[in-house]
Amino acid sequence: MESILSGVFALVDRLLPFAFAEPAFMKRALLALLLTAPAAAALGVPLVQHRMAFFSDAIGHSAFTGVALGILLGVSPSWTMVAFGVLVAVAITLVKGRTELSSDTVIGVFFSTVVALGIAIISREKGLTRNLQAFLYGDPLAVTDAELLWMAALFLLVAAYLALLYNRILLLGIHEGFARTKGVRVPAVEISFALVVALVVTAAIHAVGILLVTALLVIPAAAARNVARDAASALWVSVGVAVLSGFAGIVASWYLDTATGATVVLAAAACFAASALYRAARPTR
Amino acid sequence: MKGCEHLHTLEIRNLTVRKGGVEILSGIDADLRCGEVTALVGPNGAGKTTLLLAILGQVPYTGEIRFCRAAEHGEGAPRIGYVPQRLPLDPDAPITVLDFFALSAQRRPVFLGASRRTREAARESLERAGVPHLLHNPLGRLSGGELQRVLFALALRDSPDILLLDEPVSGVDVAGEELFCDFLSKVQRDCRFSLLLVSHDLSVVARHADRVICLNRRLVCSGATTEVLTSENLAAMYGPDAHLFRHAHADGRGHLHDDGEK
Repeated sequence: MESILSGVFALVDRLLPFAFAEPAFMKRALLALLLTAPAAAALGVPLVQHRMAFFSDAIGHSAFTGVALGILLGVSPSWTMVAFGVLVAVAITLVKGRTELSSDTVIGVFFSTVVALGIAIISREKGLTRNLQAFLYGDPLAVTDAELLWMAALFLLVAAYLALLYNRILLLGIHEGFARTKGVRVPAVEISFALVVALVVTAAIHAVGILLVTALLVIPAAAARNVARDAASALWVSVGVAVLSGFAGIVASWYLDTATGATVVLAAAACFAASALYRAARPTR
Repeated sequence: MKGCEHLHTLEIRNLTVRKGGVEILSGIDADLRCGEVTALVGPNGAGKTTLLLAILGQVPYTGEIRFCRAAEHGEGAPRIGYVPQRLPLDPDAPITVLDFFALSAQRRPVFLGASRRTREAARESLERAGVPHLLHNPLGRLSGGELQRVLFALALRDSPDILLLDEPVSGVDVAGEELFCDFLSKVQRDCRFSLLLVSHDLSVVARHADRVICLNRRLVCSGATTEVLTSENLAAMYGPDAHLFRHAHADGRGHLHDDGEK
């Protein structure tokens, strides 16, 4: 494992012989962003189609409680965050399918309950706040090798998942009843999608933090909607925006001395603004 | 298959659907015959869409829905095409008509492009539905009539044995409605599927259906169109104030006037 990473680092040195890419922490940050941001952006396209931006936000905030639980139990918060995020994602999806309440109401209930639980834990354990800050604001410069390998594994998982189920996820996003008549097994697709989103959200928190994680899923996909006319270009534009803003954000943060995660999100927002201008200028059909 | 008469393609026996303790449909017996147009009529909430969903296997039911196939049509489970009543679509979604075909037809993820087979099948069935020019149009921006044709084309692509159409002319203007119905009879004659058509518009039913099933949670009656569309049967379905009367249109189109929304 160590040798794979050092090989990759050597490759980054050859491809990017610049001052900003020299320190090992910058290489890790760059790799972390180039692994999580495109995965998040690819999932973002069907996520936006399903109107699930609020869902990803809820998973992001559940990570807050996951981290608090980890610190409380003396386990690595990186992993309790993933476990708790997955748990909340599955719980929301199951409850949503079994009530007449609208999905944003169900998510709202879970969202506030989970955050309240997190705050209750933190308020009992003095001194936790400092640990939480890294997760709230995100710090790709502090990503460990183990986390980096997890992100790489997740990148492959997302690619495989989307290759297998993308058509069914999108068909479900167009119209549930119609997808059902075309043989889409709705509960299986919904739960697996929620699970993969939860895994990617909790990984992306290392890069941009709890407060901004939804941006990595929603902003590139929103920009793609402004530009793309068909399903294929929507996904590739979204991934392209993620790669571009991940790269631009990390370089800019090095020279401007700003928080990396926030700078990446600002770069993505700039792409969105450009896409909105493009759309406004495009002749309407 | 045993127990089936030669012509029948679908036999419904004692079909009951319950939802939340309420019987939405009780004890329905009906047949769909091969190559015929059967209209399903009844007031709002009569369970028409539910019956379609039961045939599609999308709602749990008790009773029996048996598919039979005349020997000359080959073996195997029947292919059922379905054109839903309304498909509320996101007008901004970056999804074209071709994408829509690809999503339900090909294994290759749509972000790697539509396969040649998908493209050809889509082009061919859009052609048959009379709208070949819509292939690259954004799905969410189609008009009601265009979407109807696209959904119809999608159903035709799988060469169905039975085609279920839920309110095929809702959201389409009168001229478009006539056009669609004439076109439908033509395609139906060419392709020889049996057609089950839900409709509110009794003029459409009177003109195009061979047989009629009248439904109001129970089976009110069923039979040949001319025998079934009588004022007694209409009264049993829609209430005593309902009349099928003809306006002074040159084409003699009839409308059901359901006074007081029974």
